[in-house]
Amino acid sequence: MTATIELDDLHVQLGGRTILDGLSGALNGRAIGLLGPNGAGKSTLINTLLGFHPPARGTARVLGMDIRQDARKLRAQVGYMPESDSFISGMTGLRFVRYMAEISGLPPEQAMERAHEAFFYVGLGEVRYRKLGTYSLGMKQLAKLAQAIAHGPKMLIMDEPTNGLDPPARQRMIQLVREIRDASDMRLIISSHLLRDVEETCEEVLILRNGRVAALCNLEEERRANRKFLELETIGANGAFSSALQQLGCECAVFTNGRMKVVMPDKIEIREVYRIAEQQGIQIRRMNHRRDSLEDIFLNAMEQTGAAHGGL
Amino acid sequence: MAVYKRAYRAYNGPITAERWRFLVLTRYSLSQLFSSRAFSWFMMITLLPVLIAAAFIYVSNNAAVQAALRMGTQSILNVDGSFFAKVLLGQAWMGLFLTCWAGPLLVASDLSNGSLPLYLSRPLNRAEYVAGKAAVLVGILSCVTWIPGLLLFALQSSLGSGGWAWAHKSFVPTIILVSFLWIAVLTLISLATSAWVKWRIVATAVTFGLFVLPPGFGEAINGVLRTYWGRVLNLPYLLEVILTNMLDTPMQNHGPFTNQQVPQFAAWIVLIGVCLASLLLLNKRLRAREVVRG
Repeated sequence: MTATIELDDLHVQLGGRTILDGLSGALNGRAIGLLGPNGAGKSTLINTLLGFHPPARGTARVLGMDIRQDARKLRAQVGYMPESDSFISGMTGLRFVRYMAEISGLPPEQAMERAHEAFFYVGLGEVRYRKLGTYSLGMKQLAKLAQAIAHGPKMLIMDEPTNGLDPPARQRMIQLVREIRDASDMRLIISSHLLRDVEETCEEVLILRNGRVAALCNLEEERRANRKFLELETIGANGAFSSALQQLGCECAVFTNGRMKVVMPDKIEIREVYRIAEQQGIQIRRMNHRRDSLEDIFLNAMEQTGAAHGGL
Repeated sequence: MAVYKRAYRAYNGPITAERWRFLVLTRYSLSQLFSSRAFSWFMMITLLPVLIAAAFIYVSNNAAVQAALRMGTQSILNVDGSFFAKVLLGQAWMGLFLTCWAGPLLVASDLSNGSLPLYLSRPLNRAEYVAGKAAVLVGILSCVTWIPGLLLFALQSSLGSGGWAWAHKSFVPTIILVSFLWIAVLTLISLATSAWVKWRIVATAVTFGLFVLPPGFGEAINGVLRTYWGRVLNLPYLLEVILTNMLDTPMQNHGPFTNQQVPQFAAWIVLIGVCLASLLLLNKRLRAREVVRG
């Protein structure tokens, strides 16, 4: 199967600053999440994949198409739902989606038919003849989704699809994304800073930080591994404490402010942890049993790259 | 995505030819423009001078009507280069008014609504976007410049003496060439100012201002420096220079230094330079994403 995205030492410079700094890796999932704090380079990566920004060095392939050489062919296969308000003024919702579908290459009759269908599909069928300017924020998000899928793209790129949505609208959007993912061959790229959105919809995650790949993981595999671990909040924990735990056979990850993640082998009991803490004069203020979540993966990636690059 | 199933369905139907897809933008923009009744009326008003000119041609070729109107001499009713120059210059101004109305609607609203990423994330590049929008103005301006110009020429040819059309055959390429030059100037200036200003009303004012304010500044330069080169800032004047030279007719009175005319080649250079500068501005401004330097 063709990789959804292949990044090959991708560098992008904007306004004299390096925004994407040598991204490499391959993502094969049907639904890929782009995660990262604000300014990490998520939107720049999307814009680069769409051909809005030229790479300074390296390249990327989307669905096997090079973003430099096959830009036009690639854009014919893509539906894009931008983050910010993007509309044509003075148009009804239906006319807007029809217009966009025609620009994507659908003949007028088919574009009209697909625009009706897209509006009903996203749940805006009753308001499709209203002017876009009268839509609420949630309706505008759904209208943007309608224009992105009306022409039947092979890939849907969504930039912060749940931005500004209230909980029911967000749930509706997530449900739609999952339906699209499961009911078609369409690949999805979802950029978000909301971990829950990505966790609920994506199979693979690319985490960016300061324009670099902080982590690239397959959520499905992580879910399958589904390891239990202890989450500790301590006062005074140091390298000696984690070394002692490692000697017991535990895997340890140490975070800032005395937080630790400890994966314990089955034969080790929790009292051993308390014993070592007592010996070293360390206070354990909180202890939780947890399973790996995207949040852990994300925080771990942030901590690791933070340490590597001198922190935030 | 069948409506009754509310399930997503991929599209496997026909696709239109990529080469002419930019005309989708033209079609929708024209439809949006003419959805305004006021614009339709205004468009008709801009054609009134052409109707008057047609009536003039009819009267000048009809002795019975002249007699009925008790017109003693035919000398004031000559349909010649001067007549076509006046008609075309009048229509050039009409074209400017139309451009000020229609031009900013095309690009400024797209930029202020952030819709460029929607266009450019599709198989449509920036040149095609500009071509699609420019085609709207080219179409509208053609309707008030070279098309009526040629129709008037055809009317005079049919009503005039047998050799008139042959004797004045050079008018045809002149009408077309000069009209297209003016259409290019109006279209590109309008699109470029709209792209920079983004606010429709201000874009209208700036577009109009570029045609009426620099001439005043140019005349001030002429007055101070005792020269006539300040007129290169007067775009309608430069059009008149080219048109009257090509039709071999005298210029209108432009106050002091009327006899010292900006050379035709200079007029061409300035107008083409304005077009190129506008294209550069468009290229700089029409981006899917703006990049802030620093």
